[in-house]
Amino acid sequence: MAGAEEIEICEGGEESIEAEAKTERGDEKVLLQFLDSLDGYLTLMDSLNSKLREGWFDLASARHSMGTLRINTTLLDLKDHSASSTLQVTDQEVESLGSVHCFALSKWASKGGSGKGKDFSTVADSEMGSPRSPQLRHRGVSGEKPSDKGETTVLAADEEIKKERAKSLSVFGGLVSPKLRGAQLSFETALETLVEIANTRSSMLTAFERISKK
Amino acid sequence: MYGFEALTFNIHGGYLEAIVRGHRAGLLTTADYNNLCQCENLDDIKMHLSATKYGSYLQNEPSPLHTTTIVEKCTLKLVDDYKHMLCQATEPMSTFLEYIRYGHMIDNVVLIVTGTLHERDVQELIEKCHPLGMFDSIATLAVAQNMRELYRLVLVDTPLAPYFSECLTSEDLDDMNIEIMRNTLYKAYLEDFYKFCQKLGGATAEIMSDLLAFEADRRAVNITINSIGTELTREDRKKLYSNFGFLYPYGHEELAICEDIDQVRGVMEKYPPYQAIFSKMSYGESQMLDKAFYEEEVRRLCLAFEQQFHYAVFFAYMRLREQEIRNLMWISECVAQNQKSRIHDSVVYMF
Repeated sequence: MAGAEEIEICEGGEESIEAEAKTERGDEKVLLQFLDSLDGYLTLMDSLNSKLREGWFDLASARHSMGTLRINTTLLDLKDHSASSTLQVTDQEVESLGSVHCFALSKWASKGGSGKGKDFSTVADSEMGSPRSPQLRHRGVSGEKPSDKGETTVLAADEEIKKERAKSLSVFGGLVSPKLRGAQLSFETALETLVEIANTRSSMLTAFERISKK
Repeated sequence: MYGFEALTFNIHGGYLEAIVRGHRAGLLTTADYNNLCQCENLDDIKMHLSATKYGSYLQNEPSPLHTTTIVEKCTLKLVDDYKHMLCQATEPMSTFLEYIRYGHMIDNVVLIVTGTLHERDVQELIEKCHPLGMFDSIATLAVAQNMRELYRLVLVDTPLAPYFSECLTSEDLDDMNIEIMRNTLYKAYLEDFYKFCQKLGGATAEIMSDLLAFEADRRAVNITINSIGTELTREDRKKLYSNFGFLYPYGHEELAICEDIDQVRGVMEKYPPYQAIFSKMSYGESQMLDKAFYEEEVRRLCLAFEQQFHYAVFFAYMRLREQEIRNLMWISECVAQNQKSRIHDSVVYMF
């Protein structure tokens, strides 16, 4: 009887040691996630800074090329128009972190009558099944037609995004320098980076809160 | 008769030619640009410019300076020089000098019309206009809804009236129509200026033909590159090219069908004056094209001063000043954005 009790005590002790180890591993995991988020955050901040510098420089190049009369703030459109990009905020459940605010950017949403347009930037991604995988566009020389419906939709989405970009730039005229288009792309990438920074910061703060509680 | 200008030019043009050659000596040199490129901030630039002809225009500007302020004040110097020459000029030099303004007038008209389309305040737009392109009824441009009204209400009494014959439509003004109007007006203006210089004859005709032909060709290349990937059709693109120049007519036929920068290069390399320009760029690159064209233009403009007794020196001086102001704008932007390593990407040295 005493032996059985000793075995029970030992088993109970082993279980508690195992539980402690599991908790420790969980804490380490949260700490690692926090440090990873912090590293990602710093990298993204650096990338944002670089993209913004590139964008401002390209804008100055475009002003130099096209002239100060063609690119200045007095040409910006003051008429009512809907935003070309929108941001959605949702709450997502992440393993070991719990509920985290998640930011999603919808770029170049079409301006439909209902106000809820089709998001051309995500059509291509959903068809391909992975975010922003590059697609080579082949000009119609080989005679092969894209038989895959997904590829056709991607091309159509690409064309619509191109039109929306051109429409945004049309405030500066119908024929703008490639440098101005380059500046637009730089600022577009900077906007995406900003949203990624927001997401990274959100998971970083959530991880930090969990560590602080422990 | 060509070659006999020396007998009579100085009677009416001698004083102004001396004035413009004096102004030309005041253009910034490579040493000035090297000093400016080493500035740490815009106040340093102002300090360096205080020792130049721009000093009196910038001295009262308070800190912190902005790039646009430097450009505006330097432009005032250009305008003062121009107005002094214009008020002293007699015919036909005064008409020649007036032609130099018409390009700026077209830019101002397009600025006001575009800004009005975007519901901007007219006064705000007028403040942004180039001073050389101002005319009395410019504010009335805001009233017009289409090109026909634009012409009938305002432009019929301006020097731009003859250039409107090709763009009179009742279509409402939108961004693409305005762009087509801009380029059509500029095409008509260049052709008119070219014919006027041909009528003057002599050294003026010879030198101005070369300079205006280069301008027409550069515009053709820029229109082609800027319209790649846009909704502008090939036929519409071709209509915007001027009917003179080294590329006219066969080069224009080929440029009209270009779909990318490498095809444009392929067309331009067939013409010896432009082979050197495109040889400086690598394939697929268009970033350095502007600088290459500006450098070639400056080379031709400087050559205009090698000959006497013609009006092209006035055109050359105005263009060289505009290039200098572009240089100052570029240097100021690079200093303000802490991108001094990129200054030499676009500065064009003259002497």
